Amino acid sequence: MSARVAVLIFPGTNSEEETVRACHAAGLGAELVHWNADLDAVRAFDAYVLPGGFAYEDRVRAGAIAAHDRLMTAVREGAAAGKPVLGICNGAQILLESGLAPELDGRVRAQAGFARNAPLGKFRSTHVHVKLAVAPERCAITASLPGGTVLPCWASHAEGRLAADPTTIERLEREERVAFVYCDAAGNVTPAAVPNGSALGAAALTNARGNVLALMPHPERDAWTFMHHDASRDRARGDTAAMLSSSGGIALFAGLAAAVRR
Amino acid sequence: MIRVIEVSLAIPDNEARTALATLRRLGVELAALERADLYRCDVAEADADRLVDILRACETVYNPNKHVLRVRADGRPGPGEVWIDEIGSGSPPGSGPISIAGRPLPGVVALERFTAWRLFSQGDRPASAALVSAATETLLCNPAFQKATS
Repeated sequence: MSARVAVLIFPGTNSEEETVRACHAAGLGAELVHWNADLDAVRAFDAYVLPGGFAYEDRVRAGAIAAHDRLMTAVREGAAAGKPVLGICNGAQILLESGLAPELDGRVRAQAGFARNAPLGKFRSTHVHVKLAVAPERCAITASLPGGTVLPCWASHAEGRLAADPTTIERLEREERVAFVYCDAAGNVTPAAVPNGSALGAAALTNARGNVLALMPHPERDAWTFMHHDASRDRARGDTAAMLSSSGGIALFAGLAAAVRR
Repeated sequence: MIRVIEVSLAIPDNEARTALATLRRLGVELAALERADLYRCDVAEADADRLVDILRACETVYNPNKHVLRVRADGRPGPGEVWIDEIGSGSPPGSGPISIAGRPLPGVVALERFTAWRLFSQGDRPASAALVSAATETLLCNPAFQKATS
């Protein structure tokens, strides 16, 4: 029996279908779980994925209302029990608002946030690459990936700039909470690769235990060649099998699958 | 001179209702919650009235079918009120020509934008400082990148 992953839906979530497909492609038994689901049923899942979108229309702040949703009770309990939790884009914002990442000093409260993009404060949709910035085993979801793995993703957000006070930013780096940083296609970490002015060029944060990963860009939107953004897509045109072959983003879901089975 | 212009909804504010429901569920006992956008401008006295006219004409700021625009007499939060802004946002003095939604604001030398939350206890009384603080810490402000003034 494959591991059961809950892909959580709040009012306004919009990336759940492609997230479920990416989980299935990685061999996970992913199911959509709505915000009004029975909590005991939600507690029975082996892992949780919070997909992208605009939960509760981003009222008050992106992720702020969903972070306090009753469904998050099961996610908090699961995270405390060591279950893998992956948040993508709005899901990552929810994880930071809930305090499940970065969890400095063991405190589950908001210590950082994804603020409006800099310098213009505007929504950006652009293809990006992110590079694993910690030892793979530091985070359960990346533990099966090679060191320095580069994933292709689509950034699609207005609030993706990691922000916190300078002391916290320094600690995030020193205490290995920054799991992925933006890079170019060759894996070079450069300021030009950062689409949103994020502190430390951070694209993802993890928690103290390493079982929670809050990733701003979308790997599920570059999971197959037809979604990819380089010459490989052009070469695959007219070849259905090639177009439907996996591209780099699926690696993160394979990592999630490995974490659930571990 | 400092001029604070407030734009609030004349129609039901779903965002405020959601925030109120969430706060109540988290144990912050409020009777009502209101929200408004604030533009706090340091403007030359001769341009102060024109500033209001410019904002009234800016349809992404003010739509007369659904908004109420007023000039506030006070430059600070009132009782039961907290103003939230993003740390490092706004246009401080010396930051160059200031505009809103692409419209230049002549005579304005500094601009700060806030979300104002007005909190009420039973009987339409402004909420106590303790309740305002609890709501701010629980939901209304993420101190990692926002600042609360009350």
